[in-house]
Amino acid sequence: MKFLFVVAITTTAIQNKGYASAFPVRPGRLLLSPSATYFFADKEWDSTGVKKSFPGNGKFTSQSYSLYAEYGISRRFSAVALLPYVVNNYTQGSVSYPSSGLTDMETGLKYYLANINYIYYFAIQGTAITPLYSSQSLGYAEEGAEFKLSFAGSGELFDRNYYFNIDNAIRQYFGNGGPLQYRYNGTFGITLDKLFKNQLSVSLGGFYTTSNFKQFNVINPYTNKNFSFTQASLSYGHAFSHDFSVFLTGGQFITGRNTSVGTSASIAIVYRIGGI
Amino acid sequence: MKKLQSSKQQLTVYLRQASMALLGILLFTTGAAADDITFTATPGSKNAIFKNTSTINYNIDVINSLKTNEDGKLTYRITTEKGVFVAEDSLKISVKNNDGARYQLSMPAGKPGFYKVSFMINVSDDDDTIRRVFGVDPDKIRSVYSKPADFDQFWDDTKAELAKIPPNFRMTEMKDSDRNNRKVYLIEMQSLDNLTIRAWLTIPVTKSKTRKFPVYLGLPGYQVPLKPSYASDPDIAILYLNVRGQGNSRDVIHTSRTDFITYNIEDKNKYVMRGVIMDCIRAIDFICTRPELDKDKIFVEGGSMGGYLTVATAGLDKRVKLFSAENPILSNIRGLDGVVQWPVNDIKAYVKIHPGLTYDKIMDNMDYFDAKNFATSINSSILVGIGLLDFLAPPNDEYTLYNNIPKDKKIMIFENLSHEVGNDYVSYQFHWLHDSFALF
Repeated sequence: MKFLFVVAITTTAIQNKGYASAFPVRPGRLLLSPSATYFFADKEWDSTGVKKSFPGNGKFTSQSYSLYAEYGISRRFSAVALLPYVVNNYTQGSVSYPSSGLTDMETGLKYYLANINYIYYFAIQGTAITPLYSSQSLGYAEEGAEFKLSFAGSGELFDRNYYFNIDNAIRQYFGNGGPLQYRYNGTFGITLDKLFKNQLSVSLGGFYTTSNFKQFNVINPYTNKNFSFTQASLSYGHAFSHDFSVFLTGGQFITGRNTSVGTSASIAIVYRIGGI
Repeated sequence: MKKLQSSKQQLTVYLRQASMALLGILLFTTGAAADDITFTATPGSKNAIFKNTSTINYNIDVINSLKTNEDGKLTYRITTEKGVFVAEDSLKISVKNNDGARYQLSMPAGKPGFYKVSFMINVSDDDDTIRRVFGVDPDKIRSVYSKPADFDQFWDDTKAELAKIPPNFRMTEMKDSDRNNRKVYLIEMQSLDNLTIRAWLTIPVTKSKTRKFPVYLGLPGYQVPLKPSYASDPDIAILYLNVRGQGNSRDVIHTSRTDFITYNIEDKNKYVMRGVIMDCIRAIDFICTRPELDKDKIFVEGGSMGGYLTVATAGLDKRVKLFSAENPILSNIRGLDGVVQWPVNDIKAYVKIHPGLTYDKIMDNMDYFDAKNFATSINSSILVGIGLLDFLAPPNDEYTLYNNIPKDKKIMIFENLSHEVGNDYVSYQFHWLHDSFALF
């Protein structure tokens, strides 16, 4: 029934973050989702939210590749993991600042908390953040932890099936000046046909990050600690089979502070293996 | 419920002239024909169930599509399920041409139970009646008829008798019937009195040699022959059982449709339902022997007689995790006289042609087959669906069953349906089943 819904994963462009649905995963089933994202920015919002070009007409590009996995341990529990790899480059005139490598790995445990009439589902998730690099060119290089509350539901609307998913997460990095982040994302999707083959979804998500380290690093936005943004995205999903789907997503940062004005495009593939 | 005084004080009326916009909406939603008086009755409480209240409220929306102003009266009449008069009152109404009006009726509530209510409109050029049923504190409804002291012993003995019958399960693949990615098997087994009963099993095609499928066991309605199910669910095996005397299990018992319900009804040890219920237990025995079926994930469902068999099986068999009984018949059987025609009239006709037999004697036997008496022993999760307009399984009697279930139960009520349940029930059941068996 939730053919596409349970595998709906929104890739938030630059953060390489896979937002899993609040819907449970069948015990014994492995959900695998490799994705690739291209991110581009040549403007920034300053600390007061004023938009302007990067200094010296600089531009930042990033290609990120990630593998998201979720495994159903039992009816209530599933294990989640995210392994991201990025290739970044900031250019200003003839000068380039490239960096690449594995970034923050996430490993966590999701618990199917409750449902309302088997229509609305609630889940909580605890996640550990482990940096797979040592230099700060790819991120904070700090251990972290996240707690997330997810709420999802599905139903019928205008003779089509819809779903929604809302995630709210608090993440703390445990280093000097390690930021405290509030991460949120809301997605609404609707099927385009009665066979659940095609779906369209819109998302609105973002971060609100606070830290006593307030400087904005234009060369590598990954390392910024005091910023906020809101990103809108549109996604099309197609299910080639019950166990294989592809999602194409375009995203645009629509508001921000102390961060770049990002535009992104991504492709995510979702496999469902086992659990029978 | 005490008899109501017919007074305008007890009939609180709120009249407001509806706008043409409202008229348009109502015409759209009711599908009213042109040149007609139509009206709807909407209960003031969800599913027409009124709890902890002293009044029963209904909104009556009247649409006048005629070209003339219509004057007349709106009357309500309340009776018990047996037709005993409870209350009646009326008020004058006046609806302009091509307009609408809403009247709110407020009627005193009585003791716990379900009541029939008729709303009648009599105006210059038209008469019409709507019949509905509402409930008052149904959670407090209890049967006045007790469970036999040896009820449990009777069924323990019956199950012991079944256990002595070698089941001799036979499973024959019907390759020419495979369809919709499901394999079809004819299942044959020996049940009580060594009768052969048959069922159809369909299993999703799988490459796995070790996969165990959760099982849906479908129990039949009265004299409804079941065929293999080709439902598209790829995760569930489906076993449709034809109990003795039905479908392809009519080798020994092959009565007419009418005579099945009274077959050997004069003797509780020979009554057809004793064997029929054991056929359901035997089907679960079969499921538990099969390596490709998951005996820890059995779901049993049925409607009407199938709902009755579901309740009986739930009371007698602890191996099943989930039950779903839609409009179960034969609950509070002694209370059915004067409420339903079937099976009461057939039983009375049977008594007439059997000298020495009395209706009371049959009722003494039927106490052992009363759904409400099985309900007290249910300790699995069970979903029950009822229609308030049901003429075979009246809501009052359904609630004697439901209220006897000790725990882990849910009831879904359909106020405007008769012997059926709505799509909401089907949808809820689907999600409940899949969630409970972790088939996400």
